[in-house]
Formats: sequence, structure tokens, C-alpha cells
Amino acid sequence: MRSLRRALPVAALASAALLISACSAGADAPGGDAGAPDEGGTLVYATGDAEPTCLDPHVGGNYPQGLISTQYLEPLFGRDSSGEIVPWLAESGDVSDDGLTWTITLRDDISFTDGTPFDAEAVKANIEHLQDPDTASSTGYLSVKEVSDVEVIDETHVALHLESPKSSLLEVLSQQWSAMQSPAGIERGMEANCQAPIGTGPFIVESWTPQQSVTMIRNDDYVPTNPELDHDGGALVDALEWRFIPDAATRQAALASGEVNVIDNPLPTDIAAAEDQGLTHIDAPRPAAANRIELNSSQAPFDDRDVREAFIRAADPGPGIETLFAGTTARSFSVLSSAEPFALSDEELFRTDVDEANELLDDAGWTTRDDDGVRTKDGERLTVRFPVSTNQSTVAEQSLFEQIQANTAEVGFDVELQPSDLSTWYGALASYEYEAVSAPYTTVGPDVLRILYHSDGTVPAPSGYFANNAQLTDSDLDRLLTDALATTDPDERADLYTQAQRIVLDSLTVLPLYDQQNHFLTHGVEGVTTLHTISTPTFVNAALTD
Amino acid sequence: MSAVARWVVAKLGAAILVVWIVATLVFFALRLSGDPLEAILGGPGSQAGEETVQAAIDAYALDQPLAWQYLLQLKDIATLQLGDSFARRQPVVDLLAAQLPRTLALAAISLGVAWAIAVTGSVIQAASRGRTGIVVGAIMRGLEIVASVMPQFWLGAVLIMVLSSGLGWLPATSAGPGAAALVMPVITLAIPIAGFLSQVSRDALDDADAAPFAVTARARGAGEIRVLLRHTLRHASLPAIALSGWAFGNLLSGAVVVEVLFARPGLGRLLQEAALARDVPVVIGAVVVVALMYVVVITLTDAIELAADPRLRGRARAHRSSEIAVGT
Repeated sequence: MRSLRRALPVAALASAALLISACSAGADAPGGDAGAPDEGGTLVYATGDAEPTCLDPHVGGNYPQGLISTQYLEPLFGRDSSGEIVPWLAESGDVSDDGLTWTITLRDDISFTDGTPFDAEAVKANIEHLQDPDTASSTGYLSVKEVSDVEVIDETHVALHLESPKSSLLEVLSQQWSAMQSPAGIERGMEANCQAPIGTGPFIVESWTPQQSVTMIRNDDYVPTNPELDHDGGALVDALEWRFIPDAATRQAALASGEVNVIDNPLPTDIAAAEDQGLTHIDAPRPAAANRIELNSSQAPFDDRDVREAFIRAADPGPGIETLFAGTTARSFSVLSSAEPFALSDEELFRTDVDEANELLDDAGWTTRDDDGVRTKDGERLTVRFPVSTNQSTVAEQSLFEQIQANTAEVGFDVELQPSDLSTWYGALASYEYEAVSAPYTTVGPDVLRILYHSDGTVPAPSGYFANNAQLTDSDLDRLLTDALATTDPDERADLYTQAQRIVLDSLTVLPLYDQQNHFLTHGVEGVTTLHTISTPTFVNAALTD
Repeated sequence: MSAVARWVVAKLGAAILVVWIVATLVFFALRLSGDPLEAILGGPGSQAGEETVQAAIDAYALDQPLAWQYLLQLKDIATLQLGDSFARRQPVVDLLAAQLPRTLALAAISLGVAWAIAVTGSVIQAASRGRTGIVVGAIMRGLEIVASVMPQFWLGAVLIMVLSSGLGWLPATSAGPGAAALVMPVITLAIPIAGFLSQVSRDALDDADAAPFAVTARARGAGEIRVLLRHTLRHASLPAIALSGWAFGNLLSGAVVVEVLFARPGLGRLLQEAALARDVPVVIGAVVVVALMYVVVITLTDAIELAADPRLRGRARAHRSSEIAVGT
């Protein structure tokens, strides 16, 4: 065993040399496989998401950082289209019987673009970077929160010792927020590393002009690791220009006129019209949780299950989803995204029945109505405060909420939609000034159920944030979710997550709407695909066609 | 103390007062409506751990009483230390220095174009007399009203739809270099301003046109254009010069809309993004700079007015001789 390990680096070097020669040969060959697309050129991507304030996704950790860092940083693991974990920078991950130690085997043929080798020491440095309070990591930190010690076994083996079992570890490590970057890059300090993190990806950050663009150039020494890669060698285009165009109509105009090749966050109407304009549409719903309205079960009136049921019977979001989203998404009847293999869907549970809603409210004692037609009980109005984040809810989604407001008003609810900026919105949630809310949550894997619905999620984080907006506290549910986190047996996990979803669904604290929307339109480029982790696009296969 | 020195001191005092008021308002508005920790910890809804939150609090003295933090902020402004951005972790001065020139250029070009449109309108008006003049006047009045009430976000969106999506003449965004990228943002900003400038200058032109000195000039055989350029335009420009100070302030706030719409880097977009992210040092820095720009521009328009109107100079120089000045 020991001698084999010593021989590994030699074998690795040899295979790396072979690969590099293969790569350069592939790159030199003109024409390529498809024929039509040109190699080289600059692909221009325009994002409507906020401009990252730091290009290192370890710092903070939001979706815009995930989007851009997909191009230059790579994670230890990936996922395939069926949700199975696949190797990326790591070859495999094995858990001890007690679930407390994960031994991860790393590829031995990879270097960061500054020449620093990717090895066990690098993994250790990255996890410690995520855990360092000075990094101010929020999302990536959650992935490795339970890691108490990172043990470097040898160059290609690292053991993560956990405080408590975490069967979702490889899933959360597949997220861009815990992607690997050069320890030497991290050493430069936060200001320098934020400007240009150093990874192993198909592109290298060259420069960042704030409010304008980030320029990335092709990594000529790219070692093929990306599970989406469909050819030898690295990216086909020479460079990637990442532009920030906040206005959706401007972004669409820039795409249609050929100024940019790919846009994100297109309007539903633009998606519907894309084909006629010669644009290609990529629908990549985000994994983990579906978009849903959560009803706060910790206070009146939704502490009464019958009132929650009445709201759900009357809300009737189906027709609104069909028209407002121009047929670009389908109604969901599951807490989990359709991208999650364990998702449990129950259409019948979320049926619309206005008569039943009225009966339920009558029986619950909301029998009188005031001059506005709003039901009252003991002098209290049937008011539902619904803070709406104008940052997170699209225009179509906000219109959908208005339809739900009108639909539920029919049976006597007074839904107060409160459009607000992100900070005010989180403030309203943190002070429990809400009866209903739609809060997207992006992660990977069914463990999102634990984050959103375990009673621990009602306890505010130091910032005041809590994820369990339904305020579900159910000891059976807690136990199922904890057990699911402790087992890595796929069948057992499936069973536990199914039972857990049953409890969440039956509580009627959640009204599922649709998958978390994530659309892209492309023009003059082919080979754009999205990762099956956080659904960010990768341009490793992309080639310009004009 | 000489009159000039007194004038300079008064302007400086006004500038300091404006900066102090603006900084105070922004500081309390931002701090009382949200938690600056959000900006430091990667946005609202941070799930950062206890130690991380504590580290951020310590780094920015956020556990001190608000009044003390306010005084610290004032001290920083007084010593021209604008600090580091919470979110971007870069010196605020660098961020502002990178964006200010682009916004100033946009505002200055737009103001110039607005003036050119307004003066062209005056020339057309002056050149058309009699019945044609009445018709031209009516049309211009209508155009001015439409132009001055046109919302910039709407005007910009229409321009993109027509010139970029429809005709494909211009790029939809204005990020790159080159004059083509500037066309739509400048038109968007200039048209409403031109509407206002043209309105006030035409009213003044009408008055000047009927004044004795204009009548005399015509009697001496001067043509309409000559009367305009040599005699009446100077009068007509006075209210427009005074309005230009206001217009410049309007252009700076309009820059927020235009920079977002055309994805153009600049101070307006920096300010908008920082305000949404509660990046207190950047917002205060940007607002203080905008306030100072405004003071500078108002001072400049005062000076230009003095240059254009000898009557004002006479008044400023000696109160006792104020009765002399009658239109020349």
C-alpha cells in the first residue's frame, strides 16, 4: 500500500504530461468536431444579478459569486443530471461507519493557475479559510461548519473529522461557495484575493472593471475535470467577458443585437419570444427547495391549521403561473425542486376549493365580516402580512402574489403585500412581522429540508436570520431529518426524506409555487450547459458560431 | 477683508454646512433603517457564525453608541478619510475616483447638448417672424412641455427599443469607449433639461425682444439674427444660466437612472448599489462628493451670471451706484 502511494505521484506526473500533450494537440487541430463553430474569440456574458463585491465566493457567498466563480474555481465534487454525486477535483469520498470521518481522495494531476499544486494541504487551507471569521463567510461556512479538524493524510488524501454526522457533506461541497482556490492566492490577503481569486477552472480572472465587466482569459493548461466537458482540453473560446447589465430590457436588447452572447434573468415574455428571434433558451431550475409561500404557524391566524388550509384552498396560483410566466415554468406541488431525486409531489393536497375554504373559516370561528368584506373574529381582522422582497421576487412573481391576494380576498382574507428592499424584508422576518412569505433558498440536495424545517431553524443566527419561516417545530420531523443526515445509505435516505416531506406537506404551512427560476438565453454561441449543482452555466464547451 | 475674500469664505462656509447636513442625514437614515453588518457579511440574511459577526463588529466599532460612531464618522470626513467600503473592502476614495470622471463627463456633455438644443430653438424662433413665428412658437412651446415632463427611464427605454433593438444603429449598453455608446445616455439626460432651458430662455427672449434696445437695433437696420446674437440672447441666457446649476444637480441624479438603464459605470450606479447594500462608507462618500459638486457648480453659475450681466457686477461692487444699470 505504502509503496503504491509513493509510486502514485510519478504515475500522476506521467499521465499529466500525456494529458497536456493531448490537450495542446486538440487545441491546435483546426475545425474541431462540430465543424461550424469557430474556435477562439471572446464570449460575452451579461448578468442581471448584482455585481459581486468580491470575486472569491468564500467571502459572504451569494448567487452572483457562484455564477461567476464557476468559470475559474472548481469544487471537489459535482452532480450529474440525476442528482448523483460525481468526482471533480476529488476522486472519491468515503465515510466512516460512525459518520464522523470523511476521507476524500484527491486527483493528483492538477495545479492552480499560479502553479501551486492542488493537494491535501490546499484542501485544508480552503476549509480553514472558510472557517476563519475574518473571511466573513456565510454560505460556504455552512457547508463545513461541522468540520472540527482537517487531517492531511498524504498529498492526495485528506480526512475531514466532523462534530456530528453529515451525509450531505459531498452535496454541499459541490457548491461553488466552497470551491477550491490556491492557498498562495488566499495568502495574498482578502483585498487582492477578492479582485482575482486563483483556481483550477477553464478560465483565469485577468481584470475587473467595477460596474462594467470582469475579463477572464482561457486557462491553456486546463486539466479536464469538469464533468460537463465534452472534449479534450480546455475552453474553446479565448476569453470570457462578464458584463453587468442590471436592466432586463437593456440586457435583452444587447443580446438580440449581438452585443452579448448569453444573458441570465430574462423576462418570461422574452423567453417565450426567444425562438422567433433566433435565440436559444436554457431552462435550468435551481436545486434544493422549490419557490413556495410559507405560512407562519407560530402566531395567529396561521397557528390554526384550518385557517392555513383555507388560505391554500383559496389561493389558486395555477392560472396565474400559467399566464404570468408565459408558459416558461410549471406549477409545483412539492417542497423540493424537481431537480432533486427525492422530491415528493402531492397535487391533490393543494387543490383549489373556495367553498371548502369558506367552510373552514366559518368553522374556525372567523364568521363575521367587516365593511371591506374581511373576516373578523373577536374584533381581530383576518390579516396576512406578506413582505415581498423586490430583489428576489421577479415582476411576474409579484404579480402572482397580487392574484393570490385577490383570490384569498374572495373568502375574507386581507393579504397585505409589503414590497420592500432586501434589508427591510429580512428585518420584517427577523421581527416576526409576517404571516406569509416567499423566501428562495439555494443549496444542493434534500438536506435543505433540515435547513428550512428543522426546529433548529427557528433559532435566529447571530445576524437575526432564521431559515424556518414556517416556524415548524415537530419532534418527529426533527428526528427524521437528523437521521437522514446521519445515514449515507441511498435507500434509507430516500425513505427518511420522503417521510419528512410528508410531514411538511401535511402541515399545510407551505404552498409550493414552481421551481426556483433560472433561465438563460444565448445568441451566436453553442455548447453552453449548466452544472447540476447550483445550476450555474459553464462555458468550457462553448464555441462562437458567428 | 476684501470682497473677494469674503465671497470665498462665505462659499466655503456654505460648502462645509452642506456637507455636514448631508452626511448627518445619510448617516442616520442608513443606520436607523438597517444593520451595516449586512453589508460586511455579504448581504442581508447572512448565516455567518458568532465569531464572524463579532469580528466584523470589532473591526468597524459597531458596538459603540451610535452618537459616538457618528462623531467618528464626522472626524473621518473632516480629515478626508472616507474609509473602506464595507462590501467591496476597498478604499472609498479609490471607488469614487474611478467612477466620478465618467459621471461628470456624462453630465457635462448632456448639459452642453441641452444648451445647444435650447440655443438652436432660440435661433429658429428669432429667425421666424410674423405668422410663421406664431406657428413656430406654438410648436416649440408644445415640444418644450413634452420634453420637460418626459421621464428619463421611459425616454431611455424607448431609445433602446428604437435605435438598438429596432434599427440596430447603436449598442444598447454604454459601457464601452467611443462616441456611439454615449449617444443614447446623453439624449436621455439632455432632452428634459433642454425643454426647461428652452422654456425659460424663450420667455426671457420674448421680453428682451420687445425691449427698447432691441427695437432701436432693428431701427438701425440690424437683421434678426444679429439682434439675437448681439443683443437679446445675452438677456435670454440669464435665467437659463441660473437654471443650469439646478440642471446639473438634476443631471447627477438622472445619472443614477441612466447609468443603471444603459449599464454604464459611474457614480450614480455606485451610489445606488451601495445604498441597496447599506454600504455606509460608500454612500456617505458618494453623497458628500455629489453635494460638493453641486456647491461648486452653483458657485460657477453665479460667477458666469456675473460675467454675463454687468448689472449684477455693478450691484456687487457698489450698492450706491445701483440705479445706473439699465439694459444695454
